[in-house]
Amino acid sequence: MKKLAIGVYVLVTLALLAWGYYQAIYVAPNDAMQGEIFRIIYYHVPSWAIAFVALSVSLAGSIGYLACRRNQLDWAQMADAWAVAGAEVGVVFLTVGLTTGPLWGRRAWGIWWTWDARLTTSLVLWLIYVSYLLLRRFAAGPQMQTLAAVLNIFGALDTPIVYMSNRWWRTQHPAPVFGGAEGSGMDPSMVGALMWNMLAWFLWGVLILALRYRVERQQQKIAAAEAHAALNA
Amino acid sequence: MDQAAILDHQFRVAAYVITWVIQLGYLAWLGMKWRAQKKDAERRRIG
Repeated sequence: MKKLAIGVYVLVTLALLAWGYYQAIYVAPNDAMQGEIFRIIYYHVPSWAIAFVALSVSLAGSIGYLACRRNQLDWAQMADAWAVAGAEVGVVFLTVGLTTGPLWGRRAWGIWWTWDARLTTSLVLWLIYVSYLLLRRFAAGPQMQTLAAVLNIFGALDTPIVYMSNRWWRTQHPAPVFGGAEGSGMDPSMVGALMWNMLAWFLWGVLILALRYRVERQQQKIAAAEAHAALNA
Repeated sequence: MDQAAILDHQFRVAAYVITWVIQLGYLAWLGMKWRAQKKDAERRRIG
């Protein structure tokens, strides 16, 4: 039953990704000013949105780990697995956002990169979470999970700064499309394509997040078995 | 199609291809890790 549910979920996700692609390429019109290059937004914006969701899961996991690590060890390990899964999936989506953005910028602005507030804080966010993953990969000892959780909580402070950067400061990056100043928004003929892709990439993000969580839990069990075997040797 | 439209098309295709390469590459890496762990867990007889 569980396998069937997972199979249906994967099929629905793949179907929605195909539908989202169809909407982005064949249904949404070309932008009057930007032409076809505007269609990058249908992958770029969902990537950032899902990255923020994944990093929120990671933050919740790290807080949960710190809250449970002394008296509820199993809960703490589960929370830590969510923390690492969320950070890694977040970095994957941030990487997509940071590579598709400059491709759009090169055609729209004539430059690949500029050190404006939105782009700089985004790059810093990516660097923070890459360092979080490197810490987890190379640090050893019982303090590693605690240090990683603290780094995650401090690193997460950059997330709202990234989100608000083009509201707080005048940036080269376009102003917010949704929830921005008066006159912001998207033509109704384009909103559908963006929303379908948002949904499709959200389902994809949940899928790889759950898979990464399973892998981390299995890794924890193997590490515990190794430690147990070493004690009994 | 003028030169600008051709370049727009190429950049749009590049963005979509890069997105899929990153996502599928990560999924493949996860799949390989999962399989290796499964074998390791069977060898150790843990859940």
